[in-house]
Amino acid sequence: MTAIAAERYTGASIKRSEDPRILTGAGRYVDDIKLPGMLHAAFVRSPMAHARVLSVDVSAALALPGVVAVLTGAELETMTVPGPDALMALMGWAGPTPEFTLLATDTVRLVGDPVAVVVAESRYLAEDGCELVEVEYDDLPPVVDAAFALDPGSPPLFANLGDNIARTHSRHEFGDVSATFANADRVMGFHIDVHRHQNVPMEGRGCVADYDAGHGVMTMYAATQSVHVTRIAVAMRLGMEQDKVRVLAGDIGGSFGLKIGASREELAVAAASRAIGRPVKWVEDRGENLTASGQAREESFDVRAAVSNDGALLGLDVKMVIDTGSYPGMGAMVPDIMEAMLPGPYKLAAMGFESTGAITNKAPYVAYRGPWASETFVRERVLNLIAKDLGLDPVEIRLRNVAPRTDPPAVMITGRPLVGVTTRESLERVAQLVDFPAFRRRQAEARAQGRYLGIGVATFIEAAPGPRPPEGPSGPMGMESMRLRLTEDGIVALFTGQMPHGQSHQTTLAQIAADEFGVPFEQVRIVVGDTDVVPFGLTGGSRSATMTGGVALHGARQLKAKVLDFAAYLMEASAQDLLITDGNVWVRGDPASAITVSEVARRAASGQFGADVDTTLEVEATFDGGEGGWSGGTHCAIVEVDAGTGIVKVERYVAVEDCGALINPAVVEGQIRGGVAQGIGAVLLERSAYGEDGSFQSATFMDYLMPTACDVPRIEIEHLETVPLDADVNFRGVGEGGMIVAPPTVVNAIEDALSPFGVRIYEQHLPPARILELIAAMDPGQ
Amino acid sequence: MADITLRVNGATRTGSPEARKTLADFLRDDLDLTGTHVGCEHGVCGACTVIIDGRAVRSCLMLAVQAADREVTTIEGLAPDGELGTLQQAMWDSHSFQCGFCTPGFIMQATAFLSDHPDAGEQQIREALSGNICRCTGYQSIIDGVLLAAERNRER
Repeated sequence: MTAIAAERYTGASIKRSEDPRILTGAGRYVDDIKLPGMLHAAFVRSPMAHARVLSVDVSAALALPGVVAVLTGAELETMTVPGPDALMALMGWAGPTPEFTLLATDTVRLVGDPVAVVVAESRYLAEDGCELVEVEYDDLPPVVDAAFALDPGSPPLFANLGDNIARTHSRHEFGDVSATFANADRVMGFHIDVHRHQNVPMEGRGCVADYDAGHGVMTMYAATQSVHVTRIAVAMRLGMEQDKVRVLAGDIGGSFGLKIGASREELAVAAASRAIGRPVKWVEDRGENLTASGQAREESFDVRAAVSNDGALLGLDVKMVIDTGSYPGMGAMVPDIMEAMLPGPYKLAAMGFESTGAITNKAPYVAYRGPWASETFVRERVLNLIAKDLGLDPVEIRLRNVAPRTDPPAVMITGRPLVGVTTRESLERVAQLVDFPAFRRRQAEARAQGRYLGIGVATFIEAAPGPRPPEGPSGPMGMESMRLRLTEDGIVALFTGQMPHGQSHQTTLAQIAADEFGVPFEQVRIVVGDTDVVPFGLTGGSRSATMTGGVALHGARQLKAKVLDFAAYLMEASAQDLLITDGNVWVRGDPASAITVSEVARRAASGQFGADVDTTLEVEATFDGGEGGWSGGTHCAIVEVDAGTGIVKVERYVAVEDCGALINPAVVEGQIRGGVAQGIGAVLLERSAYGEDGSFQSATFMDYLMPTACDVPRIEIEHLETVPLDADVNFRGVGEGGMIVAPPTVVNAIEDALSPFGVRIYEQHLPPARILELIAAMDPGQ
Repeated sequence: MADITLRVNGATRTGSPEARKTLADFLRDDLDLTGTHVGCEHGVCGACTVIIDGRAVRSCLMLAVQAADREVTTIEGLAPDGELGTLQQAMWDSHSFQCGFCTPGFIMQATAFLSDHPDAGEQQIREALSGNICRCTGYQSIIDGVLLAAERNRER
């Protein structure tokens, strides 16, 4: 690699050090692993949404040459430890906790529920074996929607719960809800639906489990957002000590929230490897990924809004029902985040929030980029609906409601201070960039020609990492650790529990450490993906820019101090007089004194020094997030809707965002654009579709439509960098914002385009057929 | 099983794949060329694209035995001596990719397209790549990389 010349790496669009391997096919993804004696797993999956399993006959499959083992759900229960969902346990969930088995034993609860695993000499043979496993089912009534799930007459999916409630009804009030609504000029009501859609990383889930009976050690090669969370899950379910489980990960082909910990299938593969004594690989195919890996969203909201005649949103009262799917995990927990986030950057006087979680015969609800995003959709949709009623401009109504930037900062009615939130500035900047009056003129001209253009804006805030909590960081999303070492070769090595899967940490963390330590970018190595050497960590929740960027900065500073203490001994100088620049240590004012950092490292490793000289050039650093702060901004879309075909074309898309100081602008913009593309896909294309019998209807890419290069426009991005909050660490995350705010931005634009028809939109999924229905409902003549 | 001989990245290779084995699986499992990725196995996502006799082909929709006596180029064949090709270099310069899983397919598709359409503009490139799915980038950085490569090719 050629040396990179930059005054400072941080803040520059340094080319990614991941790319030379990615661009040449030399990346190492989990499916590229091949171990001696490795077997391949495939799962027998339920064709029914809800049924009793009467019998599983594996004899024909076992007789097939090449099939090594077939393990049923019941057999796997004898090999594993029963327990709750690992993620729920780790997050301290105290609500309804269904008891379920690793694979289905007596009941299948979704189309695609695994019933048995076939292990064979090749994937082809394993799939042949699956065809030969005979499962006898007895139909149960499918529970396909949340309304039926909440009906006491619906058949419970889990015997120990007795009903289909994943999250018992809760109601919380902030401020004086009844007085706010009683005194409002008007109270408006809406029912808003968000549809089920899903992560769909280009690489599905997968693992290779390799149990070494001699040492009693399980090595898992995983595709995961956290090797440590995977280790916890494997150790829990397999009844092993954590230090007997080693989890390794290489390149990961995307995740977007899907690959946290270890899935039921991955745990079954680990159990199979232990039972058989050979390595076992499982990589899901696209059908499995779409059908059974997990899905997200699908919430419905009854919203009441208290509004003043001048457009102030005084209060919101929201009743939410979330469809958690068949095996509750994230879906039961996410309403708490939605409740906390619902006020957004706006100065509500009061808010009520109720939520209930329903268990249905669909794929489980998983985290998907901005898991709480539906609250932003609701809020930004409601603001537009109010603006339409009052005849206000969409930017103007937001400017009237956004909380002022004050010191100390305004506090959301749900309790969190709006530290560093620059929504007002981003709204004003979007209005300048887009020129609304000019657009309105163009829109009027187009309408005169029968063309329907529309403009939409929406704002968001993203807790990336959010304001510093008064009680300090806690739980899996808490304190960030890093080990840093100057290796014998003079490399500054950062050991992090982050598990990058597209986020470019190998580049961005090296930029920060190189600047802080004073070595060239190429002299920093980022070590990830091995529970034996990296500290606990998790890539998710848009936290790594602040948390891991921060610990890299402070850790590099601590390591540098340690190296300088040793160098001072070597150079017979005072550490305070030493500098490190460009990989050289030298005495201030005396460039001729310079020795290389590599030489310092070599001397430290030489073993020539007595016990009185500290030659361990290594530190364990932690970072608590410093002052933290929010990311956020305003997006704007201009669309054209073809009223004849229902096709929506996104003509222009502008994003003004504030994520504090940028580590690598090209990486930041890639995150924003990727999120926006997913948001556009969610509105115009993507839907995880179920039939009334619980059949799954979008199990291929011909049914689950993904945005392509012709569907996503150029996305114009401008960065605000308004408020430095911390003395050192002002990087904030951007992983989720695009996906959070693009859906309301695009839907607001579509509604604006359809305003000549009087269309009001209360849903998120707007494929052409639905656009035509909305127009036809307002204009029976169409 | 059928014995086949084919040219892969300029070298003669032989194998005995089962008749039902896809070319993608043959390349990955039998020839250890794991740069070709399998993204959907039904011909929609384009991750497994390779070049056969100058044309971009989905190796998940083709059987290995159908590649007998053909000239196959995979991602590993584009930078055999470790030196990035023009398109790869342009994509590096453009921050084209994130997770990298779709990358080989895009590069093979774009390589075949640019060799037939050296003067292609943005819209043409978008259409040519619309059969490849990327979930990370929103495509703009990929399109920019292809445009930059086309420009550099024309300047040479």
